[in-house]
Amino acid sequence: MTVTSRNGKRLTPDQVQSATFPMARLGRRGYDEEHVRAFCALVQRELVTLLNEKAALWEEVDRLRRRVLGDPDEQPGYRLEDGHIQAVRILSNAQQTADRYVADAQQYSRHLAEDARRRRDQVLAEAREHAERVLEEAHRQATHAAEMAISEPEILTSGDRRELTAELAYLRTFSDVYRTHLRAYLEALLRNVEEWERTEKSAIAAARADLPFLPADRLP
Amino acid sequence: MDIQRLKESFARVAMHGDAVPLFFYSDLFLRHPEARDLFPVSMAAQRDRLVHALAKIVSDVDNLDELAVYLQGLGRDHRKFGTVAEHYPWVGTSLLATLAHFNGPDWTPEVAADWKAAYELVAQVMIAAANDDAGTRPPFWEATVLAHELRRFDIATFRLATTEQLDYLPGQSVSMESAERPRIWRFYSMANAPRDDLTMDFHVRMIDGGALSMVLTRGLDVGAKLRLGPPVGALTYDTGPGRDVLLVAGSTGLAPLKAIIEQVAALDEPPSAHLFFGARTVDGLYDLADLEKMAAGYPWLTVIPAVSSDPSFSGELGRLPDVIARHGSWRDHDAYVSGPTSMVEATATQLTALGVPPGQIHVEDFGWSEP
Repeated sequence: MTVTSRNGKRLTPDQVQSATFPMARLGRRGYDEEHVRAFCALVQRELVTLLNEKAALWEEVDRLRRRVLGDPDEQPGYRLEDGHIQAVRILSNAQQTADRYVADAQQYSRHLAEDARRRRDQVLAEAREHAERVLEEAHRQATHAAEMAISEPEILTSGDRRELTAELAYLRTFSDVYRTHLRAYLEALLRNVEEWERTEKSAIAAARADLPFLPADRLP
Repeated sequence: MDIQRLKESFARVAMHGDAVPLFFYSDLFLRHPEARDLFPVSMAAQRDRLVHALAKIVSDVDNLDELAVYLQGLGRDHRKFGTVAEHYPWVGTSLLATLAHFNGPDWTPEVAADWKAAYELVAQVMIAAANDDAGTRPPFWEATVLAHELRRFDIATFRLATTEQLDYLPGQSVSMESAERPRIWRFYSMANAPRDDLTMDFHVRMIDGGALSMVLTRGLDVGAKLRLGPPVGALTYDTGPGRDVLLVAGSTGLAPLKAIIEQVAALDEPPSAHLFFGARTVDGLYDLADLEKMAAGYPWLTVIPAVSSDPSFSGELGRLPDVIARHGSWRDHDAYVSGPTSMVEATATQLTALGVPPGQIHVEDFGWSEP
């Protein structure tokens, strides 16, 4: 989406006219729903602001009209009611800002979680694939070792013995290859986890540092 | 009271959308700052709720019988939020101020009198219902976490003990609030039939970005306190017909069905029951070990796990509606279905297509979708 609006920035008619949206993901029709919803929220916010302004202006016009007509209650000076309406407006703005912060934080955490879930599925799929490859390779090498064991010229024994020797060679090699791969894989995995923990710790520290106005023990 | 005039003035206000509840709550909090504590930090969902409730009251104002039932429910519901009779006039003052503000020049003394009378009636019905309710049960139940177990990175089960007795029917749920997320209430089903020791089990699955589910899955320690609202829900076991039972659970939708199994197990002559427990992948069958233990102990119970997108699984493969269709027509069964929205809808449609009469299909929609 090309339109963004933050505190203070107002939505203009030409921004609405020239709004563009990315297409939905493969397999779904039309625009990406999330972007369209976000845009509708912007438009709604703008309309609320405009209607609020209109209501405030109407009150101002009414007050001025009565003052012009000489209403004794409407002579220049401070009016309690004006102050209240103004306070309502300020509090409403503050509440909307708070709502936006909460919504942003929730959206951020949703994206993070979705991303983590996707990455987890990916890692699991890769691990499964890796395991299959390791098994295949161990089998290939072990078969080869078994063949070698039989073809050794100095072993001249009965058929049974030859078979056992071959199987022993197969299993020994299979387990060696498998163990080596497994160790390498687990070590890589551990390094991964350590790195992950380090980045997580520094990310949390950074997040705390970014929020000096909150006591640290209130953070998740 | 001129009902037509009331409706017209509400229509004039309602077109201002979110600006109306925004003004209302700001006005309320300015007049009574102590009322702010009764609400969550983000008020966005709260504003929608207020507008919906007002719209319903105004549209049903000429159907007083139905409106009274709705308002009585609303009055009882508000007890757990800490609402007391003293708060109602506060709301009335701010409501009238809001309506006056948005009606502008159309806010005549007659319209004001209509609204004042209407609100007083609404408040009276709500307060009366809340008072009646107070005679029978507390506004909420305090509960302590006795055990918590993370079954998968995003699925947990936990056990609570309440300090006061909470009577419910197997299959029902309660709303829950944690001090970690004040004033945010979400519904969870009990996973067991009522026990004498006041303990209850819950299954919870983390919703991405979910306000409370994150706390309940990953942030709940033994000893933590929760508040529970009164039990609700109509997914309860119908003992009358004595038909055989089909239970279809998607993910943590299992909880209420497990409670129903416990209830059936206590019957003198339990009917035959089939439980289909489905997930996307094998690790989503988070409670299978316990279910198999139950099946081993109950000869009338058959547990069939199913996985939709994990070919390495040796059991049933496919989505739950397809899997149950492979196992029979279920026409003579009472069916209880619980889980994610899409799964519940698809299963109910499948059962209807298989010829199960609508009166025999009971569903509970957990309101989230499978990621």
